[in-house]
This record gives sequence, C-alpha cells and structure tokens, in this order.
Amino acid sequence: MEHNLLSTLTSLGASAVLLFGIALLWRRSMQAYVHAFRWQSSVLSAVFVLVGYFENDLELYVVATLFFILKVLVIPRFLFRLYQKVGGEDEVQPYVNYASSLVISGLLVLFAYLITRPLVSVSHLPTRGGIPLAVALILVGLFVVATRRKALTQIVGLLVLENGIALLALLCTFGIPLVVELGVFIDILIGFLALQVFVYHIHGTFESIDVEELNKLKG
Amino acid sequence: MLVILLLAPPLFAAAISFLVRRYHRAVGRTGALLSFVPLGAALTIAGKVVDGETSLTWWNGNFWRADSLTALVLIFVTAIATLSLILSPGLGRATQYDAAGLRRYHIFVNLMIASMQIAVLTNNVAIIWVAVEATTIFSAMIIPLRLTKESVEASWKYILISSVGISLAFTGTVLGYFDFVSLAGRSEGALNWTELVAAAPSLHPEVIKLAFVFLLVGYGTKAGIAPMHAWKPDVYGESPSSLGSLMASALLAVAIYALLRWKIVADANLHSNFTNDLFLTLGFLSLLIGVFSLIRARNYKRLLAYSSIEHTGLICIGLGLGPLGVFAALLHLTNHTAAKSFVFLLVRGIERRYRSQAIKDVRGLYKSMPLTAILLTVAIMALAGLPPFGFFISEISLFRAGFAVKHYLLMGAVLALLAIAFAGMLSQFNKMLYGEAPDSIPRGEEDGLWWYAPLLVPLTALTILGLSLPAPLSVLLQQTVRIIMNE
Repeated sequence: MEHNLLSTLTSLGASAVLLFGIALLWRRSMQAYVHAFRWQSSVLSAVFVLVGYFENDLELYVVATLFFILKVLVIPRFLFRLYQKVGGEDEVQPYVNYASSLVISGLLVLFAYLITRPLVSVSHLPTRGGIPLAVALILVGLFVVATRRKALTQIVGLLVLENGIALLALLCTFGIPLVVELGVFIDILIGFLALQVFVYHIHGTFESIDVEELNKLKG
Repeated sequence: MLVILLLAPPLFAAAISFLVRRYHRAVGRTGALLSFVPLGAALTIAGKVVDGETSLTWWNGNFWRADSLTALVLIFVTAIATLSLILSPGLGRATQYDAAGLRRYHIFVNLMIASMQIAVLTNNVAIIWVAVEATTIFSAMIIPLRLTKESVEASWKYILISSVGISLAFTGTVLGYFDFVSLAGRSEGALNWTELVAAAPSLHPEVIKLAFVFLLVGYGTKAGIAPMHAWKPDVYGESPSSLGSLMASALLAVAIYALLRWKIVADANLHSNFTNDLFLTLGFLSLLIGVFSLIRARNYKRLLAYSSIEHTGLICIGLGLGPLGVFAALLHLTNHTAAKSFVFLLVRGIERRYRSQAIKDVRGLYKSMPLTAILLTVAIMALAGLPPFGFFISEISLFRAGFAVKHYLLMGAVLALLAIAFAGMLSQFNKMLYGEAPDSIPRGEEDGLWWYAPLLVPLTALTILGLSLPAPLSVLLQQTVRIIMNE
C-alpha cells in the first residue's frame, strides 16, 4: 500500500519535472527559461525528499538540501545576473521552430519509453514507473542544447539534461552514494562557473551571445 | 605512499601558482621540476606490476587501485605532463602571454594533470567520471590564454560538446550501477570496478548494452572518436602548444582508459562481439573522416588534429579485433602518445616565426629553421607510418590481427585509407618544408638548443619502438591485454 503511494507520487513528480523541461521548448524569453528550470529543480528536490521519507534514508535529505541550494537558489540567481549583464538577448529564432520542437519532444518521449523497456522490467523498485520520464528529460535537454542558438539557453539545456540524470539515478537506485553525489555537485558548480566565464568572453569578443556568430574556425 | 607522490606535486604546484599573485617564472619552473616526482612514482608502480604484483591497493581499501592498465596510462600521463610543463609558456624569459594568463595556465594545467591521474588511479567508476569531467573544465579554462574570436569559439564549442558528451557517460555509469544494485542491493563497493567485473556475468545484458552505448558516446566524445570529434580541430588549433600536446596524448589515453574499463565489464557480461563491433564501426568512421579531412586541411595545427582523429580510429579498430588487435592498439597508443606530444610542441616555433597557422603561408622551413625542419620531417615520416619508427610496427601488428580474425574487407579498406593519409601527409608538409622562405622571415631557430633537447626523449622512444620492443614494456603490454580480455 505504502509502496503504491510512493509509486504514484514519484510518477507524478517525474511527470512534472519532465513537463518543466518541455516547457522550455515553447518559451522565448530567457527569464521564462530560468523560471522553468528553477521550478523543475524545486519539484525534483521535493521528489528527493519524498523518496527519502518513504525509504527512511537520511542521505537523500542531505542530497535534496544541497540540490535545492545549488539548483534553485544559486544557479538561477547567477543566470539572471548573467542575463542582465550581457544585455538581455532572448531565444527568438531557434534552429528548429517552436511547433516542430514540441512535436519532436513528443517523439523523444516515445523513444525514451522504447529504450527503457529493459530497465523497467529489470527494476523491482516502486519508483520504476518514472524511469522512462527521466530518460525522456535527458533527451529533451540534449535537444535544447542542440537546437537553441543563444549561449545562455544552451547552458539551461545542459542543466536540464543534468537534472534528468539526477532523476534517473534517484528513480533507478534511490540515489548514488553520497560521496559520489558530492563530487558530481562540485563538478556541476565548477562547470557552470566556467560556462559563465565563457558567456562573458563570447559577449566581450563577439558583442552578442548568439552562437551563430561562432563560425570562424573552418578547414 | 605512491598515491601521495603522484597527486601531491601537481596539487602543490597548482597551489603555489594560485598563491603567488603576480606570476613569476620560478613558479612555473618549480612546477616543472616537481613533475618528475609523479613520473618516478608511475615508473615505480609499473616496475612493481611488471614484477608480478598484479593489483596494488593503498590504505587497506580499494578506492585507490593500480594494475597494468593503470600503470601504462599513468606513465603516459606523467611523462607527457613533465614534457609539456618543461616546455610550457612562462618558464623562459620571452613569452607571448601576460602574467595573469600565465598564472591561470599554471594553476589549471596542474589541476588538469592531477585529475587525469585520479581518473586512472581510482577504482570507483563514478569517481573516474568526476575526474574526467573535471579535466574538461580545467582544460577549457586555459584554451583561450589570449582572448580572440577564434580561441573563444574553440573553447566554447569544446566545453559545451564535452559537457554534454560527458553527462551521457554519467548516464551510462548510473545505468551500470542500477543494474548492479537491482541484483546485489546497495552496498559501499557497488561502484567499484573490481566488484562490477566480478558481478558482470550475472548482470542483465539488455541494460548493459544500453549503458555501454551511453558510455561509448560519452567517453568517445572526450577521445574525439567520430562522429563526436567536431571539437578536436578547433581546440588543437587554438590551444597553447603545450596544452595541445597534453590533450592530444595524455587526455586521449585517459578517455580511452575509461572506455576500456567499461568494455571489460560489458564483455564479461555479453560474451559476444557487441562492443567489438561498435569499436570497429566508430573506429573505421574516425579513420575515414580523419583521412579525408587531413588531405584537405589548410591549417597545419588542424591537420595534426585530423591526424589525431585518424590514429584514434586505428586504435579503436585494434581494440575491436581481439587479443592481437588489443596489443596492436596499445602499442599504437604508445606511439601516438610519443609522437603527438612532440609534434605539437615542435610546430609552436613555426607558428611564432611565420605568425600564421596556414599551410600556404609557411614556405622554406629548411632554409629558415633547419633544425625544426629536420625534426618535423622525422615526425611526419613517423606519423605517416614509415620505418624505422614505432607506427610502422604497430600498424603491421594491426593488420596481422585483422587478418587473423578474417576481417579482410575491413583491413583492405584501412590499408587504402592509410595509403591516402600517407600521400596526404607528405604532400601537405612538403609544401612547408621546401621552397624559398619569404625574405621577411629571419633565419635561425626560434628557441635555444636547450628547448629542443627535451623533444629528443619522445623522438628516441618512437625510434626504439620501431626497432625493438623493450622487454619490460612488452611484459606490461601483454599483462594489459590479459586484463582487457579479462583472462
């Protein structure tokens, strides 16, 4: 009974997390991107707490707290500041337009269900229902990075992709060991700071953060 | 103890580079001097392994672990680290970079070296991932030592493509862990490679296949295997030469190392040619793309990057051909490490003298810089696969391995591509070596003779490898083959 409840709640949580990921695809303002990412991360930390509560696992509370601090408080704030400093360029014309993006994201979700069938059949955890949704989120993140042309929206795509992996690890295994999780958090933070430095560099040298301009290297 | 000797010097060097506010060349020199300590430690580990200690662990645990595969890659990493630190910018009097750039370079290059060593020394597959991801960030920070449109473009593409790629490798790692956990429950050692290999036969083939594909795409991006190679020419073209040499040799070996660890797990489970076929396919694709980009390249640093993709392809093909092929691949990796570290450092002088990376701008090297021209000729002949250099032997071994497992068609195609690459390499570099140097170009070498002396070490290694295989190395390679074949 209790496991049924956990199963329902995590599926619900995973769906919400995926929806915030897909929400990126029809938004054009950078603020909307960051808000969607912030909401997604909040829901994801709630799912961490949820699993921690049902499984009585203290480590997951720690992870949820760190996750919340990093991805709901710190990174979105940096993103907003970055957005203001580089002069507020929005995602006006992605390589793939909004309507096609949504259709493709639907296909990606189907594809995720297809490739995760062996995973779901192997797992006997109550949370396995959400596994395809996590893989779908990874694919959607990948799609955002590949088709958006502003440096900032690409970063958000990468962050969403990382959220997908965090969700996958949680649903598949109730979280990877804390030591590893700490290493991953440090990597994500340093990686984000490095990306941020490069956005300033791009803005400084190209006077725009449109990666379409990055076409000097050929041959 | 050996672990401390390996990790403390680069971390210490990074720390003093950070603490000394205004870069002084004593800082860089200290770092270069310290780098001999890890090299000695790596050789000690290799010595122990060759003497029959198959697996070394430290501090009563198995978080840190070294076997023959570790020792081999560790030697590559520490040796190239020493070479590139000795010849890195900011050690001599003249330099083209400002103090802030040099300080940044020496902080991050040492951190990158330390994380490469952690990646090969740890037994925990997730920590391997954390360390490889860290190398991406640290190296990206020092690609644009001077901010130009080109260097910023290269580093952005690199950090973005690599970050995405490497997060896919993490997805694969999570999937592997998931399979292990669903079988054996959560335990402390669940992410340890040794336990994964031991449990591999009872894991689920379908899950392992999916995990391996993610891992191959992920670490393959770091290794620059086609079709995930797009960043390579940009980055090798725009990096400072000493960083380029480190990335083209040491970092490549580390990425392949990570792939091999997972190949062993997957093979122990699948008992089929699944991973071999993937290696053959992507290896051949890399070779094809590398060769045809190489003959059309107009920039000599990018040309070397394409040659790197070509050789990465050959290594992958070898890894997919069974024990003989794996041996050839490891030998080829050894040759490639020696050759690429050397040639990237060598073209630095050409780039500075002619102020251009375009092949058409560089003429008459034999007239303007005779010593550089001779060394470059030797390097090109080696890379093109001529005797008496190591590549000749490793390529012959590769063909023998391919014919032994009856891949006639594939090996025929590889041979044809190598012939094209050979002709392409020679004709491209001939344009640079011969002819008349423009009058505006001063005569004489760019650096003093002391600068060229360290380059003789990899060159000598390459020649020795072409003439005979030293006994300790041969033992080390054979032990490594046995580890990879899981015998």
